[in-house]
Amino acid sequence: MLDPQTVKQWRRFRSIKRGYWSALVLFTLVALSMIAELLVNSRALVVSYEGDWYFPTYGRIIPGETFGLDYDYETNYRELQQKFKEDGSGNWVLMPLVPFNPFENDLRTDKFPPYAPSLETQHYLGTDSTGRDIVARLVYGFRIAMGFAAVLLVCSYAAGIIVGCAMGYWGGVFDLLFQRLIEIWNTIPFLYVIMIVASVVIPSFWTLVTVMVIFGWTTMTWNMRTSTYKEKAREYVNAARALGANNSRVIGIHILPNTISVIVTFIPFSIASGIASLTALDYLGFGLPPPTPSWGELLSQGTENLESVWIVSSVGIAIVAVLLMVTYIGEAIREAFDPKKFTYYE
Amino acid sequence: MTTYFIRRFLLIIPTFIGVTILVFTLTRLVPGGPIERMLNEAAMAGAEGTVSVSTDYGGQGGSTLSEEQMEVLRKYYGFDKPILVSYGHWLSRVIVLDLGTSTRYTEPVWDIIRSRLPISMFYGIATLILTYGVCIPLGIVKAIKHKTAFDNVSSALVFLGYAIPNYVVAIGLLTIFAANLEWFPLSGFVSENFDQLSPIGKAGDIFYHAALPLVAYVAGSFAFTTMLMKNSLMDNLAADYVRTAIAKGLDFRLAVFRHALRNSLIPIATSFGNNISLIITGSFLIEKIFNIDGFGLLGFESLVERDYPVVMGILVISSLLFVIGNILSDICVAIVDPRVKFGADGSNQ
Repeated sequence: MLDPQTVKQWRRFRSIKRGYWSALVLFTLVALSMIAELLVNSRALVVSYEGDWYFPTYGRIIPGETFGLDYDYETNYRELQQKFKEDGSGNWVLMPLVPFNPFENDLRTDKFPPYAPSLETQHYLGTDSTGRDIVARLVYGFRIAMGFAAVLLVCSYAAGIIVGCAMGYWGGVFDLLFQRLIEIWNTIPFLYVIMIVASVVIPSFWTLVTVMVIFGWTTMTWNMRTSTYKEKAREYVNAARALGANNSRVIGIHILPNTISVIVTFIPFSIASGIASLTALDYLGFGLPPPTPSWGELLSQGTENLESVWIVSSVGIAIVAVLLMVTYIGEAIREAFDPKKFTYYE
Repeated sequence: MTTYFIRRFLLIIPTFIGVTILVFTLTRLVPGGPIERMLNEAAMAGAEGTVSVSTDYGGQGGSTLSEEQMEVLRKYYGFDKPILVSYGHWLSRVIVLDLGTSTRYTEPVWDIIRSRLPISMFYGIATLILTYGVCIPLGIVKAIKHKTAFDNVSSALVFLGYAIPNYVVAIGLLTIFAANLEWFPLSGFVSENFDQLSPIGKAGDIFYHAALPLVAYVAGSFAFTTMLMKNSLMDNLAADYVRTAIAKGLDFRLAVFRHALRNSLIPIATSFGNNISLIITGSFLIEKIFNIDGFGLLGFESLVERDYPVVMGILVISSLLFVIGNILSDICVAIVDPRVKFGADGSNQ
């Protein structure tokens, strides 16, 4: 059973239309990006060849020979589709909505990339300066950015909750020590230090997460410290202690559930800052290594090719839209957990 | 109060030592350290197999230090000595602002940083003035006109500034106003013919170049400060003492400006220090986007060019500035709120 408080908070959240709809749209987008291979991919969804059906999307590559082509590397399904159409042999290929993957350079002989958006070539938002499809880069970049932000959130919250709770609960020398440590940590410029580390170790997804947790655990720790500190002073904690509850029970069963609103309220903002930092790092060239599809990399291409407006405008609009939605959700959650009705002077 | 600030200033020392230890550890990891050596080996091993393309800037492998540069760095950071000895040696030089010599410019690091600081400071101070100059009045008006059309419309704008990181704002501005409409220059701090301009022309030229970056800077802290001002003023307007003042017959305007406003400035003052750090740390993105030759761009370029003495110098200086910024904001709080007794309880953060 859900506890009535949670039900009430959920109702309040639903009543804030902006945030609720943003949440719906964003979750749909994330869900769609999970199956992005079916929507944006150079592999066909279905190939019907000589009465057999093939589903190349997931699984191993199907060499061109399978479909009567004269090469043994991966089939070019766009060409195959064209070929089947011209043959009129009853074979057919069903391509995804956007028939490109984020890594392939779809180059033309008559012109240098970037190519402008065009329905005819099916580059709906054009290509970047090496001829890669922008829709594909955006979609896969979105998936990576969201995944990155989510993993970063889980890791840094885990660290923050453990250390913050301990600081607030035990206080004393431990608290003082970590207070100093956090002060030192907060003093050095976060992004810059990450860039320094990233300039030495070529960052993979996980090294980048690790580095960002190492330098970014302080925010949540500080918040958890404050709220644990407050909760600890309240009477129900004393009561639990008087009944003989040990430390882990007091923290786990009594204090943590009461700080959950602090944690939940911060989630959307952490996601937003995760996306923003990853994009910034990628923009500066210190993020995930190329050719990983990334919004930051697109942004930097866009600013270098300002005359190809479609690059910077599509990625810019994507960033603004996603961050706005995340922030709307954040505002709605905050409202739902802490309905601060302003008493104001009339 | 005085004892508090003395204590606070003395606390800079352990923080500074902590920061330098951290920075020093990074130097141990970075140039000539074990990781760099490993990287070199990896690069050599990799070079045999595949052809590596390093057209990208810095980040992803590519450029490594020359043997000569490594030798200089090793000497400066004392890799030949035990860690503690070389740390002590380095710290004693940092204290007198001897941050080593840039491997790129072959000039003392401090001189390079000092020559770039005024440009960043110009933006920093202009941003501060603009932010407070716009946000405080706007916050006041929004609080008084709560839930009116003006409040709602400006809230939408404020919200936009809150959700979008300032570098995205900067790129947007650059695309729209500099590249497409061509109202503003694409980059730089001053025009090429700056020296021939009249004093008024010079000032105009600086602001012509500064307009877009300044908007981007202000967008970063605009939303936060405005909402802070609005919310805290609204809390104070609802407080009993304002009601009392008005009940006694005080004009509403006077009640706001003489009573409520003063109290609601406290949180604004508390956040003053954060702005200083924002200006220092957030600036390299905007400086890179607009190609402004300031502190941030220097940091970025040094990192790309692997000019580690400058990188470390920038870390030390910006950390020090940040600590000072924190103390400044405490002083500000003390000025606007005479009730504040620091150090009475441990949790002044």
